[in-house]
Amino acid sequence: MAMRELVTGGAACAVPGSSGSSNPLGALTNALIGSSSKTQERLREIPTATTTTTNSNLFAGSEEPFAALPGAELEHPLQPHAQGSEFLQGFRSADQNRFADAWHEIQRPQIPHSLGRDSMTNIPLEQGRLQPSLDGPPQRVLSSFLHSFVHSSHGGLPFHPTSLPVLGLSEGDKQCIRDRSSIMARHFFADKSEDFINSQVNALLSSLEIDNDIRSRGPMPGRFPELEEYWNESQGMKPGPYATDGWVTEFSQRQIERNDPNAWVQSFERQHGANGWATEFEHEQSQLASLDQMRGANISSLAAMEHTRKLAHTLAQNNDPKFQNSKFLQFVSKMSRGEITIEDNQIKQATFSAPGDWAAEYQQQYNGGQTWADQFVNEQRSQEPHGWANEFASEREIHGSVDGEWVNEFSKLHVNDWAEEFEHQVAEGVLGDSSGDNWANAYDEYLNEQVALQQKSESSRGVYVFSDMNPYVGHPNPLKEGQELFRKGLLSEAVLALEAEVLKNHDNAEGWRLLGIAHAENDDDQQAIAAMMRAQEVDPTNLEVLLALGVSHTNELEQAAALKYLYSWLRHHPKYGTITSAEQPDNLYYADVARLFNDAAKVSPDDADVHIVLGVLYNLSREYDKAIDAFQTALKLKPRDYSLWNKLGATQANSVHSADAILAYQQALDLKPNYVRAWANMGISYANQGMYEDSIRYYVRALSMNPKADNAWQYLRISLSCASRNDMLEACDSRNLDFLQKEFPL
Amino acid sequence: MPVFKTPFNGYSVKFSPFYESQLAVATSQNFGILGNGRVHVLQLNPTITEIISFDTADGVYDLCWSESHDSLLIAAVADGSLKIYDLSLPPTSNPIRSLHEHAREAHGVDFNTVRKDSFLSASWDDTVKLWTVDRPTSVRTFKEHAYCVYSAAWNPRHADIFASASGDCTARIWDVREPGSTMILPAHEFEILSCDWNKYDDCIIATASVDKSIKVWDVRNYRVPVAVLNGHGYAVRKVKFSPHRMSVIASCSYDMTVCLWDYMVEDALIGRYDHHTEFAVGVDMSVLVEGLLASTGWDELVYVWQHGMDPRAP
Repeated sequence: MAMRELVTGGAACAVPGSSGSSNPLGALTNALIGSSSKTQERLREIPTATTTTTNSNLFAGSEEPFAALPGAELEHPLQPHAQGSEFLQGFRSADQNRFADAWHEIQRPQIPHSLGRDSMTNIPLEQGRLQPSLDGPPQRVLSSFLHSFVHSSHGGLPFHPTSLPVLGLSEGDKQCIRDRSSIMARHFFADKSEDFINSQVNALLSSLEIDNDIRSRGPMPGRFPELEEYWNESQGMKPGPYATDGWVTEFSQRQIERNDPNAWVQSFERQHGANGWATEFEHEQSQLASLDQMRGANISSLAAMEHTRKLAHTLAQNNDPKFQNSKFLQFVSKMSRGEITIEDNQIKQATFSAPGDWAAEYQQQYNGGQTWADQFVNEQRSQEPHGWANEFASEREIHGSVDGEWVNEFSKLHVNDWAEEFEHQVAEGVLGDSSGDNWANAYDEYLNEQVALQQKSESSRGVYVFSDMNPYVGHPNPLKEGQELFRKGLLSEAVLALEAEVLKNHDNAEGWRLLGIAHAENDDDQQAIAAMMRAQEVDPTNLEVLLALGVSHTNELEQAAALKYLYSWLRHHPKYGTITSAEQPDNLYYADVARLFNDAAKVSPDDADVHIVLGVLYNLSREYDKAIDAFQTALKLKPRDYSLWNKLGATQANSVHSADAILAYQQALDLKPNYVRAWANMGISYANQGMYEDSIRYYVRALSMNPKADNAWQYLRISLSCASRNDMLEACDSRNLDFLQKEFPL
Repeated sequence: MPVFKTPFNGYSVKFSPFYESQLAVATSQNFGILGNGRVHVLQLNPTITEIISFDTADGVYDLCWSESHDSLLIAAVADGSLKIYDLSLPPTSNPIRSLHEHAREAHGVDFNTVRKDSFLSASWDDTVKLWTVDRPTSVRTFKEHAYCVYSAAWNPRHADIFASASGDCTARIWDVREPGSTMILPAHEFEILSCDWNKYDDCIIATASVDKSIKVWDVRNYRVPVAVLNGHGYAVRKVKFSPHRMSVIASCSYDMTVCLWDYMVEDALIGRYDHHTEFAVGVDMSVLVEGLLASTGWDELVYVWQHGMDPRAP
């Protein structure tokens, strides 16, 4: 049930998909019994490296083998016995009545406990089979010891380490004790300081001779700011700059030795003056710069790669858990294997610390310096290392001028009103949904465009990318499963099932089509287009496919492609086929297509699809009033289409009717409360009206539903700046949603 | 009122939704820190006797009854596995299924009362998983929490909505048809150990925290809690809405007490039972008999009593 209906207490709370899916009892029993025997089979394959028993598999829940008795125990029988009886006496005297009755129950043979999935030597528990009358095995000692640990929480008394007999705990057992006692201690000792909790746990662990330096479940993030700070510091800062700086130094030395002009940064600096952005850039982002250099080096110099490998090795040697978890370490180890994938985002996150002013913002978002560096590196990659130095020199000439332009442009933007400039660019270069009347919008459009361009250049368009792990491969009827999952709204699962279907039957147009729709609803237009294109290859005249392709391409601002598919839709439509010419024209013009759809709307004014397409087309031509009319007409025919309400809202926002847009978005949200896009659009509308504080709340709400909505993070950042809430920029950059939610509740 | 002694420390107790005299108890040796576990199925007649029990190789932290089949029971085991037991089969044929996907301790299970074919598991591996009884693998994994998830609870009216409570100090509301959580509720300053939905108002949720309080929230306006229930002296371990009275909540705590609350009245605490001599960690209210309560704790005792009576009275 959608949240919104729940929230509004909406009446229509029917349960979708509940009727068909419940199993008849017989089928259930069959399934269960069948699987049970399968489980047994599987279990029998597990080696039971134990000599004490032969029938462990017969016992319920005994996947794990019975424990062997550690020899060490038998050599020290006295001490445990003594301790055990002592404990037992105390135990009995403390619980005179009830426990006495129950005591024999405890003596019942139990299956030996076996923790670590791999551990063969566990604490011998009751050992019922071997020594039936025991009351003093180490188990008792351990039990009483844990008991006093737990009890120390009652009075808040410090728990003192004591010396215990050898208990023969396996590594798995130790891990369990360590992890579970740390987690539970934080519940018992809620009042106490973190230091107290740690000392309690450490006392327990040291008594049991368990190292606490193996990775354990520490305090939760966010509760102890100072610890978190320390953690962050150790995660990011300590290994990062130190290691990279060291590396950079060494690397530069190597490069100088080899007379390699990798000192391009410096030379660039010289060219553009010491106060140029490069200095600033390099200075503020020593890590980024060095990583980029590393990247360059990796390509140009095998020696450098060898060095990274050594560095990774050294880092991996360090037992510090924080080190082991260090993203930096992972990064370096990847680099040492030659899998360098420095993504703009990662570096952006890791290095920028939000200076807050617009120039810096621009620099950061645009990432110009890095693009430049990447480009440079790419150039180098295409031209193999021989004559690298010479190549560089000539390359630099070209780049010099290009970069000069870039710098000029930047400074011009910086000095003049760059926002205006931006808008101008957008108006010229990009036909957006956005009219560009708002610079923030335009700015983001431009950013998206940049990202899209980059993606396009990186991966060829229209290639469907399958998921790596697909549990539905081998499913007898993945299409049916996919349809079912799709109907239930489990989109990501449906995608997997449908992928399994089209892997099995490449020519199943319906499979591809549904896959495309699932992707579109899951907000992945790229994959949607790729799937739809395959569907169209198989079935070139499927109207649903053509319409979906047209809309998806419009969303991706690919006008020519959009027009092609929309025209095909008209041409193959039984009702409107006569309007179009027999042959599909090579060049479609927007005006022609729009005219044809207008004719179609006259032929059948009750077809909501035609009006929707018209609305989309008018958005492309920026005839917003007409677009609004078209969408409103469509809404009269399809009042419950939430995405249509969203389209209307977006159009109204673009045509400076932001107040109206908010009403439209609210309609969309009433129909689909989880519609993240509408929440974000709501924020944009408020921002458009200068109500930045309000916009922030909506962005935060949208992000709380989908923290991966990268665009919304960018919008949020802009609104924070506009609302002079620079104090929250750091929370935004670190994507600290909980903090933001507290600060900006909706 | 009847008492039952379990060999291990009690962790969770649940009344059968099918038989008013049946209940199941999850227990763990050594407080669940290390050792075996056992699931007991008990009969009230009117003393408590054991019908059957199942042993596990690691502690059992929680269990739930199937809503579709009167003899099915699902246990959350500390080794991360979920085990499905069929009471109509002898212990040697059980568990009929062992689902092992969680990388760490499974700490909570909840059966869907609307669709009756699926259940949730909450784990210390920071995830919640969605399962159906007839599938060998989980249907979905919900991974957003930044720390252990201690419990997950289905909305009593909407088959696709559930809430999760985590040590990352948030409760989250999810719709299984959506890719991510629908709502993040930064409900407490400390770890949240339990949550439950109101059985009569599907927008009301209660959260129980290490900060000793229970908070009642309206998900339509989660800026301020509807009520804050103070009175427990230690971390509140479980919270449960009454199946019969809209505003009544039962809770149990590391302060060894079980409390009953009416969150709509000013003096919210309407009952306090201090019958346990160790942490009280499991509490349930019978759906079939109004006012019938059950609790279990680390004192290895299971109590069943009528609200207003003394659980220890003979």
